[in-house]
Amino acid sequence: MFCYQCEQTYRSEEGAGCASAKGMCGKDAATADLQDILLHVCEGIGQYLTRARALSATDAEADRFILFAFFTTLTNVNFNAAKFVQLIQEAAQIRDRARALYEKAARDAAKLPETLHGPAAFVPAADMNGLLAQAGEAAVRKDAAILGDDVVGLRALVLYGLKGVCAYAHHARVLGEERDAIYAAVEHALDLLARNPKELGPLLDEALALGHANFAAMEALDAANTGAFGMPEPTNVRVTPIKGKAILVSGHDMKDLHAILEATKGTGVNVYTHGELLPAHSYPKLKAYPHLAGNYGGAWQDQQKEFAEFPGPIVMTSNCLIEPQPRYRGRIFTAGPVGWAGVRHIADEDFSQVVQAALALPGFTADAEEKRITVGFGRAAVLGVADKVIDAVKSGAIRHFFMIGGCDGAAPGRNYYSDFADATPDDTVILTLGCGKYRFNKHDFGTVGGLPRLLDMGQCNDAYSALVVATKLSEAFGVGVNELPLSLIVSWFEQKAAAVLLTLLALGVRNVRLGPTLPAFLTPALVDVLVGKFGVLPVGEAQADIDAALARAA
Amino acid sequence: MYKVNLLTRDGATIAFDAEPEETLLAAAERANIYPPSSCRQGGCGVCRVTAVSGDITLDAYSEAALSESARAAGETLLCCAHAQSDVTLHAPYDQQAVAFAPEPVRRATLVALEPAGASAMRLQLQYQDDPEHGRAAQFLAGQFAELELPGAGVKRAYSIASTPNWDGALEFLVRLQPQGAFSTYLRERAAPGDELIVHGPKGQFTLDDASLAPRWFVCGGTGLAPALSMLRQMAEFADARACRLFFGVNRVEEVFARDAIDALQAALPQLSVTLCVWKPESDWRGFTGTPAEAMAQALAGTTEQPDIYVCGPPALIDAVTRAAAGGAGRVFCEQFAPA
Repeated sequence: MFCYQCEQTYRSEEGAGCASAKGMCGKDAATADLQDILLHVCEGIGQYLTRARALSATDAEADRFILFAFFTTLTNVNFNAAKFVQLIQEAAQIRDRARALYEKAARDAAKLPETLHGPAAFVPAADMNGLLAQAGEAAVRKDAAILGDDVVGLRALVLYGLKGVCAYAHHARVLGEERDAIYAAVEHALDLLARNPKELGPLLDEALALGHANFAAMEALDAANTGAFGMPEPTNVRVTPIKGKAILVSGHDMKDLHAILEATKGTGVNVYTHGELLPAHSYPKLKAYPHLAGNYGGAWQDQQKEFAEFPGPIVMTSNCLIEPQPRYRGRIFTAGPVGWAGVRHIADEDFSQVVQAALALPGFTADAEEKRITVGFGRAAVLGVADKVIDAVKSGAIRHFFMIGGCDGAAPGRNYYSDFADATPDDTVILTLGCGKYRFNKHDFGTVGGLPRLLDMGQCNDAYSALVVATKLSEAFGVGVNELPLSLIVSWFEQKAAAVLLTLLALGVRNVRLGPTLPAFLTPALVDVLVGKFGVLPVGEAQADIDAALARAA
Repeated sequence: MYKVNLLTRDGATIAFDAEPEETLLAAAERANIYPPSSCRQGGCGVCRVTAVSGDITLDAYSEAALSESARAAGETLLCCAHAQSDVTLHAPYDQQAVAFAPEPVRRATLVALEPAGASAMRLQLQYQDDPEHGRAAQFLAGQFAELELPGAGVKRAYSIASTPNWDGALEFLVRLQPQGAFSTYLRERAAPGDELIVHGPKGQFTLDDASLAPRWFVCGGTGLAPALSMLRQMAEFADARACRLFFGVNRVEEVFARDAIDALQAALPQLSVTLCVWKPESDWRGFTGTPAEAMAQALAGTTEQPDIYVCGPPALIDAVTRAAAGGAGRVFCEQFAPA
């Protein structure tokens, strides 16, 4: 096992990376190795699909499988080794189909099909032990001794960025939004990785290409969510429980939440969001369900305590699962790409068993004191008051915007983000998205220029919304995004954040402050490239970083 | 006050403090930590762990719960042990077997009972709804519960044969003892509608979900119950891993649960079943001998290193443990002697 894809990766003087029997996220060595093999076989699918595409032949089902397969390998998504054995066998069958598609397309075009090597020719063993013996061929750092850490690190940036793209694109796809350009970009990246690239230039180009692909994926996801559930609007959300039977839904998947709301209609069961599903309350078609009762708990890393105390079933719809603890192991359900051995999984979007569980479990026995927060400042809400915002900036009432967004995590140093938010001057606005906001979204920031100082734009999945707002403001002020009185303070944890960072870089956004630590797969030389080309900065001390941002904008 | 670290099979560390005059079990419970235990007086062995460092003294206990050789190997009983220094213990179970809230005590209604072969009964209970627990039957497949007859002072431990569910249903297989108080109740007085008190769930005999090995279940008599629970859960979760069941009784007329086993085979196509009768008097076509012997034969014919889950009389557990010695597989059993 070797994995250094997320922020919590084990770091020591010898280097960074989880390489023991169990990673920091709880993923065991066998699961990690099987995930590497799955991605390796997917690279083989990409080798064939990208060539077939050049001959105008495509296989959307294969592309969809790749999105799902990659999503399962994100941090805190699927820990079930047996599931990966099954996915590897499925991937091999899909690769064979992609090969046939390519060879037919070549023959139809009167061309001789290439004989492909590497992942295209890899034959996965039939069983777990055989597969584990093959893990070396698919390991992330397999060429490090020959090629050095810079090339391997940049390959990892492409691979992990690709994982983020796939996760966003999968979320969009389940709601019916697909973009062929995303599939083409995914196939291209897989083909590149399959060829074991050794030069930094093409890898950096690919990383930026994935940044553009990720922008398309986020656009598709935004279209999917708003198309299905309406445009988010400012909404006051209860954050304390009320008496009654209850279901807690965590993760990011609005479609699953909608299915659960439908399944519980008329049952008397209240549905609570957890973590990144908080923004669901702002979508008109979701908040129309009166039994979408509120938000419970905080960010994902607190789930072991919060889930233990929740008196009903819990559904984990996408990434952020931590090892289910004894007190709730029997009443937690996984769905979609998520999995844990020995935990009930819902593969068919039939949540009737969850409803049964809610009715059988005690629920909340009393109302808690009512507390509320406001969410739903997506692009439509913010741009709906664009004139007010622009006037406030021009009059000096609003001096600066701080976009404090991204993932939360358990590592020390993440209080930087709450310190930062709390220290922002009163004449500034805080835009936020992702679950990092749980560190400060219940603080009282007051108002400025007639607007709340804290504007919650949604999930990490809603980064598109923030980029649209920045673009529209830059158009209104007649300056580039980098000239706006706007600073991006990004907390990263996993691979979707890596994809968003690539998008920011691809769009030419500079001076992003990234923390709480820089990715372990980025070597000092690669960090120098990011600093030199894109002005990426590590986070420092909150007040000093605020002062620097305001000084630069002045 | 001494520091106690309980290291579980899956690598978790559960820490608590203990005064020298309190048992380690009492000290853990004072900290809202509830390791598997049952009789609490050194009689059953459910709370057995291994001390890897530190000084411990022991109150009186039963040899059936902790043999001399086991004690010499460092094993101890949490319900009888007192720390005399900081102590580190190894538990033979995962963290999930440790509860962090007091054991549930719930009322249930007897909804059905029927003979299971010549010497056992099958009981179906239904939890009553209550504000603290609702009506769900939450436990880990393989665990047991203690059934108490209200007002009769009779409490007996039986493995649960059903799987966790939201209807509150519980199934038990009970071997009838000639003079047993609970057995006498079942034979003579029990009737649908009776109310029983259920203490638990308890025990650490549960599936090792993290293991990738094939699962072999070796059961004698009503020791089939936890295997049924675990296999039924595998079927519910569409678990595709290889599994075998070796189930044995003494005489042909004692064979029971064939319907349940047939249903399992239909739900788990990869399940291989070996029915064993030790002393068949009639035209028996299955395996003649004990399930331990059947398992030993199977082990000899394979390179597999299965996880072996064994439940039944102590002689069966000993035989299986001996057969698996030398690395043929990991053996999981409930170290339980009737208190």
